[in-house]
Amino acid sequence: MTQETKPRALNRLKSMYALRAEVDRMYEGGVEASEEGKPVAWVMLEGWSNAILNAMGVKTVFPENYSSLCAAQGMAEPFMERSEAEGWPSHLCGYARASVGYSARMVDVGGKIPPEAPGGGMPKPTLLVASGETCDARFKWFQSLGRFFDAPVWTLESPSPGIRERLSSETYERNVQFLIKELKAFVAFLENLLGKKMDWDMLEFTGGGTNEINRLRWEINELRKSRPGPMHTRDFWSVMTAALFRGAADPEVIIEGHQKMYDEVTERVEKGIAGINRPEKYRMSFEGLPPWHTLGFLDQLAERGWNFVIESAYRPMRPRTVDLSMYDDPMERYVRRRYRSLEESLQEDYEPDEVEAIKNEIIRDGTSSRLGLKHISDYQVDGVVLHVLLTCRATSAGLNLLQRKILDVLKVPSLVIEGDIIDASAFNAAEALRKAEAFEETMDHYRKVRKELGMPW
Amino acid sequence: MVRIYFAGIDLGSTMTKVVILDEDEQVCAYVVNHTGAEHRRLANKVMEEALIQAGLCIEDMSFIMATGYGRINVPFADKQITELTCHARGIASFFPNVKLAIDIGGQDVKGLKIRNGKLLDFVMSDKCAAGTGRFLEVTAETLGLKLEDLGRISLGSTQKISVSSTCTVFAQQEVVNHLSNDVPLEDVVAGLHDAIASRVARMVRRLKVEPDVVFTGGVAKNIGVVKALAESLGCPILVPEEPLLSGAIGAAIIGKELTFKALANGETIQTGERRLEEATFFK
Repeated sequence: MTQETKPRALNRLKSMYALRAEVDRMYEGGVEASEEGKPVAWVMLEGWSNAILNAMGVKTVFPENYSSLCAAQGMAEPFMERSEAEGWPSHLCGYARASVGYSARMVDVGGKIPPEAPGGGMPKPTLLVASGETCDARFKWFQSLGRFFDAPVWTLESPSPGIRERLSSETYERNVQFLIKELKAFVAFLENLLGKKMDWDMLEFTGGGTNEINRLRWEINELRKSRPGPMHTRDFWSVMTAALFRGAADPEVIIEGHQKMYDEVTERVEKGIAGINRPEKYRMSFEGLPPWHTLGFLDQLAERGWNFVIESAYRPMRPRTVDLSMYDDPMERYVRRRYRSLEESLQEDYEPDEVEAIKNEIIRDGTSSRLGLKHISDYQVDGVVLHVLLTCRATSAGLNLLQRKILDVLKVPSLVIEGDIIDASAFNAAEALRKAEAFEETMDHYRKVRKELGMPW
Repeated sequence: MVRIYFAGIDLGSTMTKVVILDEDEQVCAYVVNHTGAEHRRLANKVMEEALIQAGLCIEDMSFIMATGYGRINVPFADKQITELTCHARGIASFFPNVKLAIDIGGQDVKGLKIRNGKLLDFVMSDKCAAGTGRFLEVTAETLGLKLEDLGRISLGSTQKISVSSTCTVFAQQEVVNHLSNDVPLEDVVAGLHDAIASRVARMVRRLKVEPDVVFTGGVAKNIGVVKALAESLGCPILVPEEPLLSGAIGAAIIGKELTFKALANGETIQTGERRLEEATFFK
């Protein structure tokens, strides 16, 4: 007699596995390059340096992402314990703590990859590229990692103007010139360190490939607006690494993987297949960075019919075509292809009358109540999970304000879950599940409220 | 005329509560007992006691609803439901105009925003025992007092001290320090109550404080905390006659609603196996 087994709550995309495997290949590529005596850089995700490094033949690996990989495999704790033993405080960013502990272990074993390192490990860096973008911990963190290996650290600066200032075309132009200057200085540093010249044609090629990957990711996300949501956020998180943390210049494999994913999601939409194997009771958005150590928590929520159809972090930008014909300088072309003004983003994302209302609000108040909400209404979300990170001010400080905005403007409630990206001990899954169960009543209530107000979902 | 009955069982971290209601939502019996470490062995005994008190047997129950953190370990329950929902429903049955409810139990603090008995939003403490019943238990032990005497003692305070920490361990250190400096006991206890109230008030303000504000859970029996909370929130606090029972009563009421809905639709009431025995992991 055959026993009927219930399918797993998540309905993973088949195309996800090939892209996920590319992440392993990225780390393997770093190890191989190191063994062959080729340069390897440890890089922060900041959107500018990676393509330049790859174009110069430098393999890149990413301590932030590697910490996530360790956490997802339950291997981050020993590295974090080691960082605490080195004197790093336990309330510091989990990404930083895990990579500091990893580096200390590398020093223990003579600069080699520690035998317990999951996923093949990160080889000893030739250089490190830090960034002042997003959070302050990033400055000192990479500086310290560099000291473990006596490796040079380059800190890339990128402009972070206020929202009101970002509306100004003068500010935009100044920022473009600032970026060109910064990145040219970075290239000069690399040329000096590596003793070779920048391959500008390769930069153009890899930059174009990045745009194509972004376009496909955008198209896939557009498909996710369907009911039922055809792709769960866990699949999005599994493949975003391959798209954003690329270790080599050639983008073809990643483009091909995303094309296959686009085809599979399209098929699901046509056939009405969901990203979960349970009836889609609640369409959800995940705000903040994921709990990499306990992603299975989302499977338990999927069991209850929670389908995470969209997320706030790592989302692709709307694709665009930029006329670069008037720019000959390859670095200027690189910057202008990627860097967009707030005005342009608003024009792309909102209707003309909305754009004017948002701009007026920004000029008056310094921000707009509508910013950061569009995905909630576009994906017709029933509830939002706000992941407040106890060790990350940058991603957590605004979440309470966002919670109020989402409720006031869209009548969509939020569930606050406290935790950490890497440190499993900061997360109480049982408590979070208790809250989640009760939250369903709140979501049901606001569904009625939205209906009474004539809102579309 | 045949009466029908509904039971709610709330298996909390510290106390287990069973309530039997009739169809008019009148309490026929209730039992409150310590949960203890082996709560899986206790739930059936508390239920049996309540049935004896009501002069009924388990077959007389039209529906048995379990709630609380141990709700999955009640083998005689027909359904399980989250305690937040049950608290909201139970509290609204005593105080229909409740807007904000605060429940301080053995291991957590909950704030519930309620409208017409429905749970609109909530906040919960989840990282430590600060400000919970356990905190007061440990404090009473440190002071060599009975838990139930803390409230009365604190009312005699003339100059309450400030306790900066609500961490269960660090607060005890502060208490010992104050006592060694000859600070009167009542001022120390009143200071501890203030520290709890201040922490809880900070948490529930996220939900907007609007009367009626109702306080439930074991800690609501402490008049000192009730007073401190009213001062912190700047509004009167309502406390039910038996503040431990709101979850169990809410559970029984929801059981009744499900039963009546099924009857109205001509459906069969879906009950469980009703095994009035200890829960095991093997059945």
